[in-house]
Amino acid sequence: MAAPSEYPPPVDSAAEFIGPPTDPEDERIEVGVAIVGGGQAGLACAIRLLQLLEGDPELTEQLGEVPVAVVEKGKVAGAHQLSGAVMNPGPIRELFPDDDAWPSYGPVEGETVYFMLNGKRAVPLKPTPPPFRNHGNVVVSLAELNRWLAEKAEEAGAYLLTETAATKLLVEDGVVRGIRTGDKGRDKDGGEKSNFEPGSDVVAQATVLAEGCWGHLTGAALKGLGLAAQDPQVWALGVKEVWEVEQPFRKVVHTLGWPLRPGAKYKEFGGSWIYGMNREGDKPKVSIGFVVGLDHTDARLSVHDVLQEFKHHPLVRKILAGGKRVAWGAKAIPEGGYWAMPKLHAPGLVLCGDAGGMVNVPRLKGIHYAIRSGMLAAETIYGQLKAGSTDFSSYEEAVHDSEIGKDLWESRNMKQPFGRGLVVGGAITNAMVVTKGRFPGGHWATHRDADSPVTLSDRDKRYPKPDGKYTFDKLSGVFLTGNATRDDAPSHIRIEKRVPREVAEAWAWMCPAAVYEIPEDAPRSGQVDLIVNPSNCVQCGAITAKGGRLTPPEGGDGPMYQIT
Amino acid sequence: MSGILVYALHYDGAFNKNSLGAVSEGARLAGELGTECHAIVVGEGVSDDLAGQLGNYGATKVFRVNGPEGLAQPVVDAMAKVATDNGHDYLLFGGGLLGFEIGAGLAARLDAGVVMEVTEVEARDGKLVAKRPILKDSQVSDVHYRSKVGVIIGRLNAFEVKESGSAAAAVEDVDVEFQPHSLKATMVNRGEQRGGDVNIEDANVLVAGGRGLGKKEGFEQLEELARALGGAVAATRAVVDAGWFPYAGQIGQTGKTVAPKLYLAAGISGAIQHKVGMQSSENIVAINKDSNAPIFEFSDLGIVGDLNKIVPKLTEAVKAKKGS
Repeated sequence: MAAPSEYPPPVDSAAEFIGPPTDPEDERIEVGVAIVGGGQAGLACAIRLLQLLEGDPELTEQLGEVPVAVVEKGKVAGAHQLSGAVMNPGPIRELFPDDDAWPSYGPVEGETVYFMLNGKRAVPLKPTPPPFRNHGNVVVSLAELNRWLAEKAEEAGAYLLTETAATKLLVEDGVVRGIRTGDKGRDKDGGEKSNFEPGSDVVAQATVLAEGCWGHLTGAALKGLGLAAQDPQVWALGVKEVWEVEQPFRKVVHTLGWPLRPGAKYKEFGGSWIYGMNREGDKPKVSIGFVVGLDHTDARLSVHDVLQEFKHHPLVRKILAGGKRVAWGAKAIPEGGYWAMPKLHAPGLVLCGDAGGMVNVPRLKGIHYAIRSGMLAAETIYGQLKAGSTDFSSYEEAVHDSEIGKDLWESRNMKQPFGRGLVVGGAITNAMVVTKGRFPGGHWATHRDADSPVTLSDRDKRYPKPDGKYTFDKLSGVFLTGNATRDDAPSHIRIEKRVPREVAEAWAWMCPAAVYEIPEDAPRSGQVDLIVNPSNCVQCGAITAKGGRLTPPEGGDGPMYQIT
Repeated sequence: MSGILVYALHYDGAFNKNSLGAVSEGARLAGELGTECHAIVVGEGVSDDLAGQLGNYGATKVFRVNGPEGLAQPVVDAMAKVATDNGHDYLLFGGGLLGFEIGAGLAARLDAGVVMEVTEVEARDGKLVAKRPILKDSQVSDVHYRSKVGVIIGRLNAFEVKESGSAAAAVEDVDVEFQPHSLKATMVNRGEQRGGDVNIEDANVLVAGGRGLGKKEGFEQLEELARALGGAVAATRAVVDAGWFPYAGQIGQTGKTVAPKLYLAAGISGAIQHKVGMQSSENIVAINKDSNAPIFEFSDLGIVGDLNKIVPKLTEAVKAKKGS
């Protein structure tokens, strides 16, 4: 038995990705506030800041020609954005008190949670367990919502630098001074091609890391600036499809159980969502996704293939009948909850949204926290810059005083009980929600996902053979994302390539985008040499959780999600 | 008079396959519309012989313009003048980057409607309708022209080369006064964009290898088979990535798009990223030891077996047949 963490990637993130500015002073790009990540956290931060600056010409002047810049590595805001997005609309309504035109698919009309006994039978859990109650929440497409938010941010005066990766955190004398953007036009070996463009230092009075579930600079800052939490962050991986269907589906369904195995030894913690996306004039759609915690021990567990298997259940077949898959994608989800939340500030720096670990695991919600934390960050930054300070510690207090801190505290021991298996864990966590976290109480510790030893199984025999109509292989999904990454770019994935077979298989099966391959003639056991196809990568972040290290690709590379 | 004007690109004393396809298509459409297909050649010292050859593909007249070769703007000037003087209704291009650039320039100059990546053209009620795949090739849209002149830019190799005429076309010299800005660009150097010497886009037969070859040396047998068939060798992204074959020979989403008469895929699983680069091939033959490989779902002939045994025997058989 081997654990992926025994084979760490060749990288020293604190040393490599943190450093002082290197461009001569007159060549640096100066902005007021630099926001890394054009997701809902970063864009909410930009919008809120500009709302505050609107009435304050003095501070606006002081922030310079570009008061607020948002750096986004995707082709557009939302290009790398994906969620099983049933959103609590509270924070976005507060951000736009007079504008409710944000794109949505309407409020949740009803919900059911099923326990899947096996591939044929399912029993509804009645009454719906408290964490799954979605009354008042709204179905959205996160990619679509982000495009809308980006428009609003630009209208308000933000500068959106899309197709731009933030590759280095600029720190001088213990204060964060901005970021450096990534080079473009390098060849596979790092050499400069004819279209080479070097990155630039973007210096700022405040820097916001809103990088999402796996943060390149967030990861470096946790190590290099000592922001790491008491517990390590742990992740789940979600794989999602969107289907166009004949009959509109009006409910939100969650499932537990099959095809996951309930035994404690497998550590298979996860489930599915299915909900309709219905909008006047559009063909009805269904969003379906499967999520599995990445601390599982089966090297041949592939969330993508589990989703394909799951679709064979009669309950699911009925919903997707006659339909057509129109989108696919994958994303990691930070599931560490309260105990894994890092320190959210350093001099000149704040962390927002998923980068700050703000996901409510029992309720499967994080979008509204991202928006809320972006707004709170904007308010703190505004107040402190006005006072001439880069001490943003009051932001962390504001987060913990908000619904984010309150909810996450109440669910602080959510995921850990599932180490005892699904049934016991489920009972404990339901009790936890009802007692607002007083039960089970205490601090249940977690371990890094990559520390779980992995073993080979015959699980792969259960996965359906893709027929290209109802079930699909990984690469057809990658194709559907619009990913057409340049093949001769340097690899943005740092990973140890010579590893025991079970570790190599764990990565190959886990990766939903077929980035990792094992040569056909590799030995059946012992050390193998991994093949890495970085151009398939859809930036889900799972490999960072499971013992590798993702860095941003060249700006503009990766998927182009539209309705995920 | 009205008619269709087709741009024919030549290099090194020969027209490229793509342009010949466009002329053939222009001639077919002109026949249906009851009009004529003309071609235009821009270059220095284009011989009567070369220009006249286009008659074999159905062009009834070839306009010859003396000017810089292989650059877009001079061709825009030349085609704008010829089309205006002769009243052509449609300007047709085979595709490729040069065609896109010229077509776009003409659309702006003549206030013409433009459709690119066209895979099929149809004559309907005396007018042309361009068919263009959209939404990642999942749907096809019909595009009608409302403008006086319509610009049609084909997808690379979308139009079949067909010899329909038998005589050399009449060649007419046209003097074009180039706009000053059109002469600002000069050709410094000509090179294959992706740096290789394999011309796979023009080949009628392609023998392509994938990771199933097992090792770099596996390409030797493919080269031998390609030689026997009179074709060229191509490769998948995976083996280019592994350094077994140059990037110039890569087929697929991030490589080249080809449509040979015969595409022989050896040890290629047929992921969609590869398929989009070769799916318009006329005949697809696949050899793969995995009977579940997706390539068998879109090949005309599938052979489940060991390519290391099949390819050498196939080469021998082809040689024997050709020798006889």
